Amino acid sequence: MALVEERPVAVKFTGTRREMGGLLLRGYGLLLPTIGLYRFWLTTWKRRFYWAHTEIDGDALEYTGNAMQLLLGFLMAVAVFVPLYGLFFYFSTLSQEAAFIGYGGVAVLVWFLMGYATYRARDFRLSRTLWRGIRFDQAGSAWNYAFRRFFWSLLVIATAGLAYPFMSANLWSYRYRNSWYGDRQFGFNGGWKLLAKPYYLAWLACAVIGVTGLTIGWSMGALPDAGEPSLVGYIPIVVSALLIGAVHLLYRARELSRMLSSVRLGGAALSVTLRGRSLIGQYLLFGLALGGLLVVLAIGGLLVLGALAGDAFADGAFDMAVFMQHLQSSFLVLLAIIFGYLLVLAAFTMMAELFLGLAFWKLVASNASITEVDSLRSVRARGEDRALAGEGLADALNVGSY
Amino acid sequence: MSIPARFHDGLTAEVQAVDLDFETVGAVGTLVIRGLDHGEIARWPAEILFALPGRKDELRLGAIGQPDGARVVVQGHEAVARVLATIPQLTERRHQQTGREIRLAVTATVALVAVIAAYLYGVPLLASRIVTVVPPAWEQRLGETVALQMEASLDGEAGFELCDDNPDSLANQAIARFGNEVLAGSGSPFELDIRVVKSDIPNAFALPGGQVFFFSSLLDRARTPDEFAGVLAHEIGHVAYRHGMEQLISTAGTGALIGFILGDMTGISVAAGLGATMIDARFSRDAERQADAFAAQVAQRMDFNPAGLADLINRVGVDDEFARALALLSTHPLTEDRKAALEALSRQRPTGLRPPFTTAEWSAIRDMCKIPHN
Repeated sequence: MALVEERPVAVKFTGTRREMGGLLLRGYGLLLPTIGLYRFWLTTWKRRFYWAHTEIDGDALEYTGNAMQLLLGFLMAVAVFVPLYGLFFYFSTLSQEAAFIGYGGVAVLVWFLMGYATYRARDFRLSRTLWRGIRFDQAGSAWNYAFRRFFWSLLVIATAGLAYPFMSANLWSYRYRNSWYGDRQFGFNGGWKLLAKPYYLAWLACAVIGVTGLTIGWSMGALPDAGEPSLVGYIPIVVSALLIGAVHLLYRARELSRMLSSVRLGGAALSVTLRGRSLIGQYLLFGLALGGLLVVLAIGGLLVLGALAGDAFADGAFDMAVFMQHLQSSFLVLLAIIFGYLLVLAAFTMMAELFLGLAFWKLVASNASITEVDSLRSVRARGEDRALAGEGLADALNVGSY
Repeated sequence: MSIPARFHDGLTAEVQAVDLDFETVGAVGTLVIRGLDHGEIARWPAEILFALPGRKDELRLGAIGQPDGARVVVQGHEAVARVLATIPQLTERRHQQTGREIRLAVTATVALVAVIAAYLYGVPLLASRIVTVVPPAWEQRLGETVALQMEASLDGEAGFELCDDNPDSLANQAIARFGNEVLAGSGSPFELDIRVVKSDIPNAFALPGGQVFFFSSLLDRARTPDEFAGVLAHEIGHVAYRHGMEQLISTAGTGALIGFILGDMTGISVAAGLGATMIDARFSRDAERQADAFAAQVAQRMDFNPAGLADLINRVGVDDEFARALALLSTHPLTEDRKAALEALSRQRPTGLRPPFTTAEWSAIRDMCKIPHN
């Protein structure tokens, strides 16, 4: 029995937005000459950044994966997707009803595979994470997880969302009870009861806000049976959509706090307190940053196009036909447009990484603490798990975060 | 002088505060790891040391042959600089690693470029091979589906309205006879179904499986039977070569390639669409030339000037500046080039051939969309 209650150890995050920004800019620059292949290296560098800057009790995490593993995994996933793609093509040649059923079938299959992919991706990341020289790992079956997630999600749809707390608690529990740190298995002592109250309150709030917004919008003429919809009528609908987004974030903060705080590792316990308003603040900041950057890009783009195809903008009006002729005759204009498109894409992903991804990681890390960290010192290393080659499907399905 | 560090043995989740020393005996250097009580914990020779990527001002060292997780972690700008200065092999090894990664990235990129190049030239070739094994019945069903989709998108729910719904009328009989004569000898498994339908869009196209649509607006602008026969023969050329099917296969292939490059096999992005369009456009231009050549061959058997086809398309094109401006992305070769090519092909036509339509037939065809047939 401990005579002195141990002070919980706070998790620290030492990375800065500036450093991450530099890493991303360099990565985007290298994506061009490598026709996109550099993304596997960029992902690896990003993860090394996140892991290395997350410090628990004086020791940082270490990401031991490399780009080659991700590249190989992607090639394997392509092997899965080529037949799927062929199937898609075949459906597109059938009659409309058959094509509809076919597309639906493929969509369901992809939804199912996404569960498999997310679990495998988590396994890949955990088994390539070191802390104090000991590796994390994930056991359990990705197919089992995929089936659980799939059938739970069907139930959630069938019950108009009411079954969600049960699904969420079940999946959280499966993930953590199959996670390992060295030879010590994680535990999870949360359940649906922790989620029920905040979830049903949020559900109710969303329903009330949604119905109210639609009703007001409808009465203001946003959805007329015939004729032009009035633009003013869209305002209450947009406002209610934004409010629903905010409620969603408030709930998400609550779910993450409660579920993460249910994670145990032997005697050690994780405790996380996220504030919903911090999450909302992140999205507001992201919106501002993205908006500002896009305005700058738009001005820059107009200047470039003005220089290349000036007469299309003569007399302050935009002449589509003249502009199109430029498109045809000048390879430079076409190139400028493609480059502009890539710039906008880069701006979006960069702002999302800096103001959502990085900010979220930082928020969770800096609001997390662990009690009885010293109990972990007796954890021993387990055998190697090198079976996983890359994240494969997760990369192809675009479900891998961080 | 020793440097303070943290040590993980890779066997238990312990952390030990240690002091590092570097001993050199002859040319062999060894990193000596000592506990704070000066007891020796481990000796790592410089040859087996490697540095792992970590955050700024932190050096993580591992050693080959040691447990995978065994680490010496040096923190602080000065301490890191001192270790790196003492053990130059670390920097050397890191450069070697970077070199390997660069070679790998370059090799992968070159391979991808090769795949893209093979694709650009291979897919049209491959598509023309694959098309020969597609069962005609399947292609016919597909053509009917495409026709339905096209009707829905162009004309709403109503569908196309035939100009003349009597298959035994003089005009329809003449068109069907012409079509069969044109297709005869090409070995095509399809039966032609040529329909002249009402539409404001000046266009004509062939679908997979032998359906040919000719829009009334294009017919109205045809001044001579040569022009009408030329366009029709061109479209029948598409049927004979099964271009519709070929294009479908090729488009599917290009979509897969773009998805592969962007790494998002599920997403449909603007760049993917644009890229696919440009690649497919290249392919279609070849198909158009092939169909033009087919029309010119037919003109060796029947008395019409295939260059009329270019005249008609040119006339329609002038009215449509926007379409002309889009020619960079358009599927049709520039009409001036086409006309020149067609004229070259039709220079030595035999004389004394039968015209495609009699005068009575041609006037019936010209009027088929004007007279109400009730």
